[in-house]
Amino acid sequence: MKVKEFAEKLELKRLTGESGLDKEITGVYACDLLSWVMSHAVKGNIWITVITNINIVAVAVLTEVSCIIVPEGLKVENVTIKKAQQQGIAILSSSMDTYGICCRAYTLLGK
Amino acid sequence: MRDLSLHLMDILQNSIAAKASKISVFIYTDTVQDELRIVVEDNGMGMEPEQLDLVADPFATSRSSREVGLGIPLFKASAERASGCLTIESMKGKGTIVTATFKISHIDRLPLGNVAETMVHVILSNPQLEVELTLHDSRDGSFHFSSAYINEMLGEVSISDYEIITWIRDYIDEGIKSNFGGVLNEIDY
Repeated sequence: MKVKEFAEKLELKRLTGESGLDKEITGVYACDLLSWVMSHAVKGNIWITVITNINIVAVAVLTEVSCIIVPEGLKVENVTIKKAQQQGIAILSSSMDTYGICCRAYTLLGK
Repeated sequence: MRDLSLHLMDILQNSIAAKASKISVFIYTDTVQDELRIVVEDNGMGMEPEQLDLVADPFATSRSSREVGLGIPLFKASAERASGCLTIESMKGKGTIVTATFKISHIDRLPLGNVAETMVHVILSNPQLEVELTLHDSRDGSFHFSSAYINEMLGEVSISDYEIITWIRDYIDEGIKSNFGGVLNEIDY
């Protein structure tokens, strides 16, 4: 499944407009310690995090995750959004919490 | 915690609980040393050396009736996660100085967050408290805010007035931008 379809199904808000929506999703990774994510997230994963500073874009580029989802309607700083757009990374926002997003993802993507 | 302004709020609450009448906050950045330093200095009741040994232990603090919660242990963890450290100097009856350092470029360094909001919140909920904020970057320039000075200027007018508070919030925001824009990557300037 592509990021675009996933975003539509979960009614996620596209904070970065059209950027990065064509990437293929391979699974889900949820963690907020960026140094840990750098060494554990897998290419194509959806990455769920409450951290919203510009460093998340760097980690997303490095790990080649398919997109970033911020849970619980968190606000994301403009610098982060601008950088994500430049780098072709989609940042999506959900009103659900991390567990809720994971559960929905499981029904859509399986294990 | 998601950002440093929330940690700062916690530490300021400790100072207030310790009956401080004056709190000074210093935020320094040194681009050569790649270091961010946050210092909170108060004139509260201070701590005995034995007490001081316990503040970094979350279980020791929740057992006692002291009004110091998880603020220090969490702040310490955030500093250490970013190659920094946290130190506390305290003297009974004199006050306490909490210093946290962070490696600016460390990937796990938390962003500064909304420092203006934290300061405004503290001013609004403790109108009698003297609050100071100093910002400084090693390149040059610095910024200083003092609630005592504002109060003196205002005379009869209350510092809690909506317009005054709005001005303070904008003033601190500007100070953050002009001192740390280009130094801390989370600052939009």
